[in-house]
Amino acid sequence: MAKTRLVKGGVAFFVLALFLLPLLASLAFAFQSGFSAEGWAALWRHPQLWPSLWLSLATGVAGTVLALIAALLIVASLFETRFWQNLSVAMGAMLAVPHVALAVALSFLIMPAGLIARIIGLFLQWQTPPQWVTTHDPFGIALTLALVLKETPFIIWVLAGLLSREDVKLNFANQRSAAFGLGHGSGSVWLRIFIPQLFGNLLWPLVIVFVYGATVVDMSLAIGPTQPPTLATIIWADINSEQVAHNARGAAGTIFISFSLITVLGVAWALTKTLKPLWRALLTEGPSTWKVPTMTGQIKHSSFIGIYALLLVLLVVLSLAKSWPFPQLWPETSFHSWGQISHQSGAVVTSLVLAFTASGTALILLVAWFETMPHHFDRPLLWASLALLGLPSLFVGLGQYQMFLYLGLTGTGLGLFLAHLLPVMAYMMIVLAQGYRAYDLRYMVTAGSLNASLLSNLLRIKWPMLKAQIWAAFAVGFAVSVVQYIPAQLVAAGRFSTLPMEVVTLTSGANRSLLAAFSLLLTVPPLLVYGAAALMGRSRWRHT
Amino acid sequence: MSLILENISLTIAGHALLKPMSLSVDPGEVVTIMGPSGSGKSSLLSFIAGDAPQPLLGQGKVLLDRTDITGLRPEQRCIGRLFQDDLLFPHMTVGENLLFATPRGPRVEREAIMRTALKRAELEGFENRAPHTLSGGQRARVSLMRALLAKPKAMLLDEPFNKLDAALCSTIRDYTFMHLKARQVPTILVTHDRADAPSGGRIFEISLSGELISV
Amino acid sequence: MLTRRSALRFGAVTALSPLVSNFAFAADWAAVEAEAYGQEVFFNAWAGSDAINSYIAWAGDEVSKRHRVKLTHVKISDTAEVVKRVRDEVKAGKTNGSVDLVWINGANFKTMKSEKLLFGPFAETLPNFALVDVKGKPTTTQDFTEATGGMESPWGMAQFTFFADGEKVPKPPRSMVELAAFAKANPGRVTYPAPPDFHGVTFLKQALVETTNDASIFARPIDKANFDTASKNWLVFLDEIRPTLWREGRQYPKSQTEITQMVADGELLIGLTFNPNEPANLVAAGILPKTTVAWQYEKGTIGNSHFVAIPANARAKAGAQFVANFLLSPEAQAKKNDLKVWGDPTVLDMAKLKPEEARLFAATAVPGSVSLPGPAILEPDASFVPLIESTWLAHYAEG
Repeated sequence: MAKTRLVKGGVAFFVLALFLLPLLASLAFAFQSGFSAEGWAALWRHPQLWPSLWLSLATGVAGTVLALIAALLIVASLFETRFWQNLSVAMGAMLAVPHVALAVALSFLIMPAGLIARIIGLFLQWQTPPQWVTTHDPFGIALTLALVLKETPFIIWVLAGLLSREDVKLNFANQRSAAFGLGHGSGSVWLRIFIPQLFGNLLWPLVIVFVYGATVVDMSLAIGPTQPPTLATIIWADINSEQVAHNARGAAGTIFISFSLITVLGVAWALTKTLKPLWRALLTEGPSTWKVPTMTGQIKHSSFIGIYALLLVLLVVLSLAKSWPFPQLWPETSFHSWGQISHQSGAVVTSLVLAFTASGTALILLVAWFETMPHHFDRPLLWASLALLGLPSLFVGLGQYQMFLYLGLTGTGLGLFLAHLLPVMAYMMIVLAQGYRAYDLRYMVTAGSLNASLLSNLLRIKWPMLKAQIWAAFAVGFAVSVVQYIPAQLVAAGRFSTLPMEVVTLTSGANRSLLAAFSLLLTVPPLLVYGAAALMGRSRWRHT
Repeated sequence: MSLILENISLTIAGHALLKPMSLSVDPGEVVTIMGPSGSGKSSLLSFIAGDAPQPLLGQGKVLLDRTDITGLRPEQRCIGRLFQDDLLFPHMTVGENLLFATPRGPRVEREAIMRTALKRAELEGFENRAPHTLSGGQRARVSLMRALLAKPKAMLLDEPFNKLDAALCSTIRDYTFMHLKARQVPTILVTHDRADAPSGGRIFEISLSGELISV
Repeated sequence: MLTRRSALRFGAVTALSPLVSNFAFAADWAAVEAEAYGQEVFFNAWAGSDAINSYIAWAGDEVSKRHRVKLTHVKISDTAEVVKRVRDEVKAGKTNGSVDLVWINGANFKTMKSEKLLFGPFAETLPNFALVDVKGKPTTTQDFTEATGGMESPWGMAQFTFFADGEKVPKPPRSMVELAAFAKANPGRVTYPAPPDFHGVTFLKQALVETTNDASIFARPIDKANFDTASKNWLVFLDEIRPTLWREGRQYPKSQTEITQMVADGELLIGLTFNPNEPANLVAAGILPKTTVAWQYEKGTIGNSHFVAIPANARAKAGAQFVANFLLSPEAQAKKNDLKVWGDPTVLDMAKLKPEEARLFAATAVPGSVSLPGPAILEPDASFVPLIESTWLAHYAEG
């Protein structure tokens, strides 16, 4: 008994000391700067405040809803087909592509001087690019498109992870047979049986997708509207400014956008409550032979893979392009960008070591937490994680940096490690919590009743059953760590250099070619880890 | 070998779920406890097995073979359990599921034991099959065999026949009771369906006030 | 005229500054040099250019060879980061700061100076400062009209410069009026970055300077009322040019680099930069065609200097001064001036150099180097910047 208490105390201590307390302290430091009257007054005076807020929220909502629909269609039409096994591998690969890389490549595809225009121009004999408004359009359509492209694989990946769990798969297969027997078509089964059950697990991922879409900066700069821009980019510029007055406006803006996001989420919640009777009515309407539009789903799935492949090829070509004026279809190539990159091996090693240690530590801490703490203790960790992910990273990063300064951790390896651990653990918490907690504990009871010790129970029953989620969480943590920039940059204080630091500084002035090359370099390690995770987490049974 | 419950009471958040009760189950006997859902019959099983969830508080003693096991961890109690679902481990083959429960020893012997068990379950040659490829009745039989392989000193059955269709239900029920009787395992069965109880066995009911009443 | 007035003002400033005897000067410097030996200097410098990074690496090799000073280039994407970092460190009472030397100018300098985040004055005690062309290049001591007061040491020169493919733009527009005519003839092919981007603000400043009758206003602080009067023609000009701009002036690119990329792609015809040699560098890198031409306006374009400064809480102040002095040496300045290395114009006065030193600076025209130069115009007073930004935003905020 005393030993258990000691273990519990230890786990709680480490999770609090390494995660929750630094996170809350960072937020406190950050928010303290947001309570200046001048900052708020300046924010209200900003002529672009309302239109840009509208743009941010609209692109966030549209991106989330469209990505959800696309993801559900694809999952429903591929569930338990021969494509299913490889789906999470494909989606993991897509997840590994950094947001900004996707935006750069997409923008080169659709912009007036881009690939599509060049191909059309070939037939129409264009010598100068057309004056299309395809990127940086005032309505944020291009930005929404980029968000849908980036977030659909994430939602599919979450769903596939869940539906690949043996117990869930079995359950669903049984339920489906039952529903078929009652005269329901596959579409009806998804709508009335699977989606309602899955929705609880999709809630947090959807919140992340929405919050991310509404606050994204790098993508918005690359492809989003400019006049007015999205609110996040205005705040970003303010927080980046050397002037304290602008910083205060930016801090006020951050609080403002956070509350706006909470309001939207509140409205969404209220809507689901109001629409519940309608939903119930739909659920209990009785059998309908409506089928999942399998063809569209499969076409969508293939076109997703096709677009990603095209964008990756474009990135490769862009990384080799020296100059590529309109209307040439093929650029003048050189390995100059890759030559520059070859000097960054030190940064690559630092980044990899950080990624492995941070995601490994986070995984151990989280699993220890889930094993020792009751379910309802997760709440504060989840909320803190969401807060961390939902706020601009510069804002939180500055707060964290100020706290590390007081603790004397800036410029130290420990400080750098913690700066990576926080976001890594926050993402992993959200990815892992639901799946881990949803585990049917009767399996453990059963194994216990078969005389298995706790350790053997965990090693041989529970963790193998949860391996897909555990590996996936590790891969997510790894990917998050590899692209970690702002907090790390501040805390490293120039004493350490990681891959993204090199990327951002080199690309702050240089050309698209270098950006493309670095984006590819940033894509490779997470790609390998996602691939490995998908293989490790693969079900033992090839088909059902 | 008998299972003895001494002065056991259960409370949940200050509310008495089960008033103090005592019960002795003889070797090979199946005692049935009935009650509507929420009456605390599953909680009683959890308390006996030693894995009662947090808000549940229990008092009293559980004796197995005259040894007090109340302080032991669940996996040290040698009490087997069966649930509504068969809970075969989905990542293991049928054979591995059985081996998981077979006590340690030379590999060849253990595999022989496993095969014997499969034979008893009328599933010869099924050891390399994935659990989800079996029918409901086949899975229920594997599940029982798995529980018995661990050589339980007592068994707790939590509505194990509930999810089986009627035709299958009586077959599996007779099959289960036969094997439990053959091994002289004291067993408690909780159910809300009187038909589940073995004929001639003792039947109790948990009343609304939380008392255990002989029926 | 503007240039002369500021030069006069500068004369008054130097006359007032205390005279330092040569002896004390030399002794002090010897002490600094002695302290600098073996120190590690963390130089926080924008690292968006391969050429610049290689140059800094070369400088690091040199100071290490000469005086065992270890120069570490901390790569920065935005100098404002450094300002914030030093501010936070000072606020937290951290005396052994993480920054020893920072590449800086303009608003960042003004902020650090006014918040007392800088060490100094030190610039004028550097032996090589005597070679700086403070008269001919007044921006070496006037950073965006803010007197440097020796709190930063000049490093290089910058002047607002335009560039284009000479085949597509055979006759470059050499004033804002000519640019407007060019845009009218080539609708949708010219634009500028939206403020608060630094290049966008400079474009607007340039337009303001060219559309205002009384140039004397730029030397003094200005208030909103006076700005509104002075900027009437400016707004007329901006309204006129707007519908002929890229996307009819409803959307603007966010940065100068974006415009450069669009010029390279062929979507825009004219690019702009603060580094006169950037077009030549881009030609050398193969990003712009060899037919690229660069030019400044006939009556001049806005020019300024960039500097290095030492934070108040720097650890290796002596080492930082040693590096700052090295960066001012004829050898280092000549190397920096070389188009094959970086191509950043020197702050030194050729007349003050030995003939063999001056010869190092001889430049040959390369594709993309400035073929039509114009004089440098001083930056308007810093008080103009927020007014330019807010007025522009109020007129063109919603596309």
